Amino acid sequence: MQHISVRLLGIAVLLILGGCVTAPPKANFTQFRTENPRSILVVPAINKSVDVNAPDYFLATISEPLAERGYYVFPVNMVRSVLADDGLNDANLVHSGDPKRLGELFGADAIMYISIEKWEAKYVVLSTTVTVELNYTLKSSHTGAELWHNHQVVNYQPQAASSGGLGALIADAISAAMTKAAPNYVPLAQQANAQAINTKGSGLPAGPHDALYLKDSQDF
Amino acid sequence: MIKPARLALLITAALLVTACATPQKKYAWGTYDHSLYVYYKDPATAAALAQSLQATISAAEKTNAIVGPGIYAEYGYLLLQQGNPTAAIDAFRKEASLWPESKVFMDHMIQAASGPPRKAAASG
Repeated sequence: MQHISVRLLGIAVLLILGGCVTAPPKANFTQFRTENPRSILVVPAINKSVDVNAPDYFLATISEPLAERGYYVFPVNMVRSVLADDGLNDANLVHSGDPKRLGELFGADAIMYISIEKWEAKYVVLSTTVTVELNYTLKSSHTGAELWHNHQVVNYQPQAASSGGLGALIADAISAAMTKAAPNYVPLAQQANAQAINTKGSGLPAGPHDALYLKDSQDF
Repeated sequence: MIKPARLALLITAALLVTACATPQKKYAWGTYDHSLYVYYKDPATAAALAQSLQATISAAEKTNAIVGPGIYAEYGYLLLQQGNPTAAIDAFRKEASLWPESKVFMDHMIQAASGPPRKAAASG
């Protein structure tokens, strides 16, 4: 009994040391660290998917994870409206514009440009795969330099084809058809954001409103 | 009496369970993300979005919690669109005092809201 406990203890310790995620190779944070931005202006996303609503739905998911990481995040909906009222309702136009100019207008340290590469549900045989693919680029509004970038692909398959005969096949087909009819991308976008922002080594360093601000250079 | 090895195992197991738990949120968000999603789905629900932001703010103020960055400003902007610049300015001031990072933008908006009542968001 004692031996089993000790062995289990060893495994558990290894698991704890291993942490929740394996850290990918550390990204280059030199430029980020020279500027240490305090505030982030998220501009409406560029949409490369066929879903016209994707940029707005996505916008609703991005403030919370960035703010909880310790940054001041400008009010996304207000920024979207103010830009539109100034004739900037084309995201492509905003993205190709000068980050310094945007920074001056809003008093922001950095601008977050997001491109929605995929926001789609594909029906293949008996199952549907929902995919969200995003590119994140953070640029300095003081120098225009790129401070950080990240790429995420998140897939969701509601139900893998099961082995349970005809009944199960019909159930799978119904489930897949329903997912295709009304796929819910929001949880996938949230997962992509969390992975992009919070992963050690490739995410964003802790911001000024976090206790680890400027103290996490080992990880970032 | 629990054996030391067993005790250690229990403690480690407890650590394991908590190790991956989501860290506590810094701010009160209410239903911000969901309400915004609903609003984008149906832009006619702007009033409901304003109401949910107001509920988040008053609940947070009652418990001395801090609302997330942007919440006061979003609320103020909806008030401005509803034709209530006085209340909007009040919300913009709260955002700026809570978050100095927003001061440039909020000053800009306060100025626009204080001006003659032309198009609400002509911030130029």
